[in-house]
Amino acid sequence: MSDLNQSDSTVAVFFCRQLDPEQDTNRRPLEKELGPKVRFFPLPCSGRIEALHFLKALETGARKVYLVACPEGACRYGQGNVRARKRLDFAKALIREIGMADDCFELVLAKSPGPISIDEVARALLT
Amino acid sequence: MITAERKPFAEIKAAVAPYGKILVVGCGTCVAECAAGGEKETALLASQLRLDARNEARTIDIKEVTLDRQCIYEFIDQLFPLVDQYDAILSLGCGAGVQAMAEVLPKIHIVPALNTTSISETMEQGVWREDCRGCGDCKLDRFADICPITRCAKGLFNGPCGGSKEGHCEVDPDVPCAWHLIITRMEETGRLESMSEIEPPADWARTQGKGPRKIVREDQKTP
Repeated sequence: MSDLNQSDSTVAVFFCRQLDPEQDTNRRPLEKELGPKVRFFPLPCSGRIEALHFLKALETGARKVYLVACPEGACRYGQGNVRARKRLDFAKALIREIGMADDCFELVLAKSPGPISIDEVARALLT
Repeated sequence: MITAERKPFAEIKAAVAPYGKILVVGCGTCVAECAAGGEKETALLASQLRLDARNEARTIDIKEVTLDRQCIYEFIDQLFPLVDQYDAILSLGCGAGVQAMAEVLPKIHIVPALNTTSISETMEQGVWREDCRGCGDCKLDRFADICPITRCAKGLFNGPCGGSKEGHCEVDPDVPCAWHLIITRMEETGRLESMSEIEPPADWARTQGKGPRKIVREDQKTP
């Protein structure tokens, strides 16, 4: 966390809302703490992510983009997290084409299907 | 529908390199269905170009717009208020779309961002297969609705060649043998006997050696 506070980095966290039904409340403390250095984007399912979301996040200032999805086999809608991985791979291919390292996009599978606190997940990612 | 694939980014970048203001124009019809040139792909390419310019500390002005159809003049007319503000148009339309825009917008360079490949069908999400070469002399009825010109690697009118294995083509074992499919479907629809007739060679003069083909319908033209 301290690293992030000291840098100009902006992190975008896309996440499946099914993981944390209280996400609207849970993410506020971290948003207050870090201000615009972290931006959360709840999705109805990680399968709703598009390659364009990743690229737009970079374009608008993010240095690192995370997608937090349900564990494999635990998607409420069946294939959402499988689809999310394919979209992430496509987005990575697009930025490799322009000579950028693709490790600025990362898929994080939650350890349990939920409920979890997106705040805790994000803090673990940012430290 | 017409199918296409996006050109490699390096090729597109080189083509638009002389320009600082680029209008990226998608097409919402065929190339949108095959995920090559619709609104989403247009936004992705524009985003890639902006990120690339930023990485190289270059200034670039990019706007993206997607027309319903790039191959119809009335839709291209929507670009009139924008064209003067840009140095070039990067088109995510098929070859017809690029040429139609060049016809309507004679004073601006139209750069194609796609390679137009074929007339295809959507087999499943993310899979498109070429079905038609547009030969202008359709004989699908003679071949159980399976085009041997397009789907047989050897383009045989009087097949099979004898090289297929377990119903798959010897040229590409991943592809079903078109003649296996033709004969099976002929049998299933009770038309197998017609296969004993020899099919004469195609009349390629209908498609080749005369320049672009053109259809004129007086009843459709405006007075």
